Amino acid sequence: MKTAVITGASSGIGFAASAELIQKGYRIIGIGHDPARCEEAEYKLRMLSADADVTFLCGDLMQQREVERVASQIIQLLQDRNENRLDVLINNAGCVRSWYTTTEEGFEQQFALNHLASFLLTYRLLSQLKRAQGRVIFTGSESHKHMRMHWNDLMLTRGYNPLTAYKQSKLANILFAKGLNERYLGDGITSYVVDPGLVCTDIGCKNTGGLVDWVWSRRKKHGVPPEVPAKTYAYLCETNPAPRELYYHLCKPNNYSCQVTHENAEKLFALSEKLCGIQYPSWIKT
Amino acid sequence: MNVMITGASGGLGRALANECGKRGYNLFLTDINAQGLKSIQLGLERQFGVTVTTAACDLTRDESVDALMNVIDTHQIRFDMLLNVAGLDFEGGFLERERRDIIRIISLNNEATLRITHAILSRRREGNPFYLLFTSSLASMYPMPLKATYAASKRFLLDMAVALREELKDKQVNVLALCPGGLATTRESMSGIAAQGFWGNVTTNPLEVVSRQTVSRLKQRGGIYIPGALNWMLTFFGNLLPRRWVAAAIYHRWNKAQKQWNPVETSSAGSV
Repeated sequence: MKTAVITGASSGIGFAASAELIQKGYRIIGIGHDPARCEEAEYKLRMLSADADVTFLCGDLMQQREVERVASQIIQLLQDRNENRLDVLINNAGCVRSWYTTTEEGFEQQFALNHLASFLLTYRLLSQLKRAQGRVIFTGSESHKHMRMHWNDLMLTRGYNPLTAYKQSKLANILFAKGLNERYLGDGITSYVVDPGLVCTDIGCKNTGGLVDWVWSRRKKHGVPPEVPAKTYAYLCETNPAPRELYYHLCKPNNYSCQVTHENAEKLFALSEKLCGIQYPSWIKT
Repeated sequence: MNVMITGASGGLGRALANECGKRGYNLFLTDINAQGLKSIQLGLERQFGVTVTTAACDLTRDESVDALMNVIDTHQIRFDMLLNVAGLDFEGGFLERERRDIIRIISLNNEATLRITHAILSRRREGNPFYLLFTSSLASMYPMPLKATYAASKRFLLDMAVALREELKDKQVNVLALCPGGLATTRESMSGIAAQGFWGNVTTNPLEVVSRQTVSRLKQRGGIYIPGALNWMLTFFGNLLPRRWVAAAIYHRWNKAQKQWNPVETSSAGSV
C-alpha cells in the first residue's frame, strides 16, 4: 500500500486530494491544525471506502517546533507500518493574513506556513521519500507570476500587503520545488507544483476579516470545486514514469514565471536553511 | 545598544524585537512564557545574527525580578533601552470577571511595569542617553465601560510616561508612551477586530509600521505616539467632549460588539 502525507488535509484542496488518493488505494496521513475539523475530516474520509486507512495528526505547522513534532510522529507511523517509506508528500497547508503577523519565531505568518513549514517538513522526511522514490507536491498558484522575491525584506516589514505576501510565498514554493529537483532527482525524488486555479475554498476567510474576507467570499464563488484540482495531484502521484515538468495545471504542464531561475532557487534554499537552522544533505542517507 | 524587552514572546513584543534585531541591537528578552522566549531567540539569531539573551520571569513577583537582577548584575550588563510591553487584559464587564483577574490586570500592567522600570533605569549605562517605552493604549484616552480596569491601567502608564519624561529629561532619558488601537497579534485579537466590524478595522494599526515608528520616535524625542491618523483624530475630538459622553458612546459600541463575540482572554501586548 502506498502512503501519502498531506498537510492542510482537513478542508479545501487538501481534503479533496486526500479523498481522491484514498480511492486510488493510498494510505493517508493527514495534518490539520484544528482538532475538531481533523476529526470530522478523518470520519468523512473513512466513509469513502471500506478499507480506507486514514490517520490525522494535529499541529500548527506555522510554528517550527510543531513541524518538528509532527514530523517525528509521521516518521514513527511510517516505521511502524510502511518499512519507513513515504511515496507522496503533499505540502498543501497555506494561509492568508490581512495584517502583518508573526509566528513564535518572529517570522511573517504567510511566509512561515506557506513556505518554511514545507521546507522543514520535507527535510525531515527526505530519507523516507528516497526509499520509496517518492514525489513531493506543492500547492502553488498562478498568482506567483508578476512577483519577485523581496530578498532584502522577505518578511515584508517595510510595507505589508496580504496579496504580495501570498504571491511571494507561492513563488517561493516553485523555487523550492526547483531546488529540490536540482538536488534530488538523482536520488529518485521528484518535485512538482500544482496550480489549482481559482478554487472554492475558505482560505481567504480563515482568521482574516475585513477586506480580504469580503473580497474572497465573493471571489471564491467563481471558483471550481476542490475535486477538480485534486485530479491533478492524483495524476502526479500515479503516472509512471514520473512526469518531468515542474508546474502543472489540470494534469498538463504549464508555464511558470521567469523569476524561477537556478540562482533564485539557490538563494532561497540558502536563506531558508538559515531560517530553519538546518542544512540539506548533498546526498540522502537511507 | 543593549535593549531589554518585557513580554517579548507576545505579538507586539516579537515585532519590536524584530525591529531592534534589524537595527542590529543586542537584545535581552523576558517573558513569563519560557518556550516562546526560546522560539523568538532562535528566530532573531537566525534572521539577524544579533546577540540575544533570554530569561523567563514573572514580573508580578518581587523574588522573580530580584533573581533576574542578580543574573544581570553577575554579568554586569548595562542597558540603553527598555521596552515595557508585558501587559494583559480580560474582556468583559467588571462584575462578570473574577475578582482575582481584575487585580491581575493592575499587578501586571502597572505594578510589574514600575518594578522592572525602576530596576532597569538603575542599571542604565552611565553617561549615555536612555530610551524608555511604556506600552499604553488608545484605551488610555477615555474611560471605557466594559474595559474599565484595563483602560484605567493604561491611563496610569500614559501619565507615568508624560511625567517621567519631564522628570528624567536632565538625565538624558527619552520616554515614549505608545497608544495603539487594535493590533492583529493573536487569533483572539484578529477575531476581536473582525467582531467590531468597520470600526475594528479602521482603528487597527499595522504592526510592522507601529514597531518601526515606535523605535524611531523613541530614539528621536519620546512623547506620546498614537499611530494612525484616524486614531489621532478620534483622540483629539474625544478629548474635547465631556468624558461622560465619550464613556456612554463607547459603552454603546462595545456592548453591541461583545454580543457577537465570545470573550477570550488575551494575555499579550496592549490592544484596545
